[in-house]
Amino acid sequence: MVEDVFRDFWWLIFPLFGMVMAVLGMVQENRRIDAIHARARRDLGGR
Amino acid sequence: MSFTQFFAAYWWLMFPVFGMFMALISMFQSERRTAKTMDLIKSYVDQGKEPPPELLKLAARQSDDWDMDMNMSGVGSNSRSGRAWSFVVFLALAAGFGAGYYFVREQDWSFAFVIVAVTMGVMALGSLLLLIFGRKS
Repeated sequence: MVEDVFRDFWWLIFPLFGMVMAVLGMVQENRRIDAIHARARRDLGGR
Repeated sequence: MSFTQFFAAYWWLMFPVFGMFMALISMFQSERRTAKTMDLIKSYVDQGKEPPPELLKLAARQSDDWDMDMNMSGVGSNSRSGRAWSFVVFLALAAGFGAGYYFVREQDWSFAFVIVAVTMGVMALGSLLLLIFGRKS
């Protein structure tokens, strides 16, 4: 059964990979922005 | 209905559901980040300090987001190169799904490929128009 599903839908690996990359990109972007905010807050004197 | 039958019937739903999920998450995060950034800039101004350029850049980008500009990949996505990259990505996706349709055109569910290919094609066209007629920044 699993083999049948895989044979029919193996190509879904590519869009699923794209989705995972999109989520990872979003997480990384959030971390980058959080770091900018933290740095700015530190420069302000730990608000 | 077994899981296999269910999956075979509704696999395509994962794309719009994922899109809606990402749009919702982005909307909430964007709102929270904009408020935080503006709050920090206000604090800098209140203390008579110059806000860091990266913070101002962030605020400018977030305001662009609210203008419903194309923002597919974060940093620099509102620049010409970002728009050009969006165009290339959408064009590649349209071509990929178009080719996918060609290979499975005999199947009942091949219409799903056409829908995605057309959607990506329209997005590519929109990116191209933004690239040509959009703000030159």
